[in-house]
Amino acid sequence: MAKKPSMGLKASRAIGNTLGHILLVIISVVWILPFIFIVLQSFRVENTAQVSYIIPQKWGFDNYIYLFSADCNFIQWYFNTFIVALVVAVLQTVMVLMMAYTLSRFRFKSRKTLMNIMLILGMFPGFLTMVVLYQVLKMMNLTQTNAIGGLILVYVASSGMGYYVCKGFFDTIPKSLDEAARVDGATRFQIFYKIIMPLAKPIIIYTVLTAFMGPWGDFIFARYIAFGEPSGYNVAVGLWSWLSQDQIAKHYTHFCSGGVLVAIPVITLFMFLQKYYVEGVTGGAVKG
Amino acid sequence: MATVKLTNVKKIYDGNVVAVHEFNLDIADKEFVVFVGPSGCGKSTTLRMVAGLEDISEGTVEIDGVVVNDLQPRDRGVSMVFQNYALYPHLTVYENMAFPLRLLKGDKKMSNDEIYERVTWAAKVLGITQYLTRKPKALSGGQRQRVAIGRAMVRDSKVFLMDEPLSNLDAKLRNQMRAEIILLRKKINTTFIYVTHDQTEAMTLGDRIVIMKDGFIMQVGTPTEVFDKPDNLFVAEFIGAPKMNTFKCNLVKDGDKYSVTPFGATIPVDGEKGELLAKKGIPSQEIILGVRPEHVAIAKQAGPGTIKTTILVNEMMGFEYHLHVLTEDETELIVRIPTLNLTEAERAELVTGKPLYITFEGKAMHFFDVNNETNLLYHKDAE
Repeated sequence: MAKKPSMGLKASRAIGNTLGHILLVIISVVWILPFIFIVLQSFRVENTAQVSYIIPQKWGFDNYIYLFSADCNFIQWYFNTFIVALVVAVLQTVMVLMMAYTLSRFRFKSRKTLMNIMLILGMFPGFLTMVVLYQVLKMMNLTQTNAIGGLILVYVASSGMGYYVCKGFFDTIPKSLDEAARVDGATRFQIFYKIIMPLAKPIIIYTVLTAFMGPWGDFIFARYIAFGEPSGYNVAVGLWSWLSQDQIAKHYTHFCSGGVLVAIPVITLFMFLQKYYVEGVTGGAVKG
Repeated sequence: MATVKLTNVKKIYDGNVVAVHEFNLDIADKEFVVFVGPSGCGKSTTLRMVAGLEDISEGTVEIDGVVVNDLQPRDRGVSMVFQNYALYPHLTVYENMAFPLRLLKGDKKMSNDEIYERVTWAAKVLGITQYLTRKPKALSGGQRQRVAIGRAMVRDSKVFLMDEPLSNLDAKLRNQMRAEIILLRKKINTTFIYVTHDQTEAMTLGDRIVIMKDGFIMQVGTPTEVFDKPDNLFVAEFIGAPKMNTFKCNLVKDGDKYSVTPFGATIPVDGEKGELLAKKGIPSQEIILGVRPEHVAIAKQAGPGTIKTTILVNEMMGFEYHLHVLTEDETELIVRIPTLNLTEAERAELVTGKPLYITFEGKAMHFFDVNNETNLLYHKDAE
């Protein structure tokens, strides 16, 4: 008699679990299908145009080989993107960390006002300033063929505003550590790199990743600043140019293989740094 | 030599909140001074001003005769131990203790061998040699605090600052570490400023105690002075546990003889205290009378010099009873009675609701002014 209710509970839990898992599988399939589709299409060699089936009839590496051929700009685009993303990742990380540390540790006049202004400015989409920025960059000769320099400048210049998560993390590192180090004889900069930096490893990795990802996948700014000059494109803009009406039949499968190559560095980075990334995202809110 | 001199030191936050008022203190070389007081009395703020972690709003702090107001903490020659240990979590115990030595520059720069020697010496003194390769998170609270002390010890600092170093430890460990600090002091023999809210720590550690309240110094004195001759009612109640019983009554002068009239009783002020009252010519007046719980005695029988009370609570502490008793006008007093001298029958009488007659002698009495709460006999201005 005593067992019956527990059996009922078990059964209802099993049904709940099964239904839950079915739902999760459906969602996963919907989510992952486009990726599988792109990967499969990138190996399709019977023609380069868009087709209505998923599994290729002929398999091969032709699309990838094309990307590295002399008459294709892909390597140039990839290189552009990589340089921009790398430089931005380094500079933006330095800017964000210093900004976050300053706002977390120092108390100065108008600190709150500054933070509020940045919060409000951050609510506007970045591309609202695009027209003005283009004019400024054009005056500095940093558009079209020099788009890489222009893009780096644009991304890095506003990067300090993304200090929130990082500041949240620094706020959880006890101030008494800074004070102890000050009494022990450390300068502010020594405290920053000898005490705070080693403790902030997760948030540094988080910052590097997000700083890298921004320019890596950016389209709007990159397209506008390159302004129709293919040598100034990044991969997103370059690949997009293959999807125009007159190009799509020639380049559809190239687009797919390009997409796969774009994803590789990011996936690799995430696989290695996933642990820190999660710590970084949650660390700011919970504890250091 | 490392003297510390604070002259008219003031701390004002946000332009109007005064945390420390006109703090004046001369600390002698190798003296152990304890700042004690309730939360928010300004004791930690004052210490942090000496350390250089807080700006000094007004006045000067001198270390060894040099005004240090505008010097960075690292240039003041001070070491500090924090309440929460403030160990660097990513460094081993050895590296934590070597940290201040590795930052030394110029003539003071140390080789790795010298650093090793200093750190192992400190570790040996503190008994933490076996933990040198561990990270702080693998240590217990007491061990962490030892590392924090070790980190402060390795440098040849002029002044050793300790900000509530034992507050995060459990009671047993606190007692043990307190004794160790007394021993440590003998070994490193430097000037100490120690902040605590615990009057027991203050009494046991300090050569002199600075008792603070709301940013003001209430009294500076040796443990004996502040216990026997509290300058005012606050000090009297703050020092000593359980706290001193204080209540209003009349001080009656009859020729050269004095008596007090607490709760309807008449108790003569005999001995030295009576003579001092007469010498100062203090007239009859209403006063606040203070008597420490350990100086209250149980009277065998009722008489003119006894106060009738009823036992409210009897706290058995092991070696003594803390009796909370109520007088006839509902004033609560505390009486400390050692258990050793009581018979079984007498102990059986000490239960809630039973009547108890108490009394005290003249030498146990402290007399405070009703208006300004200063000690009628020992307040500085009264002398």
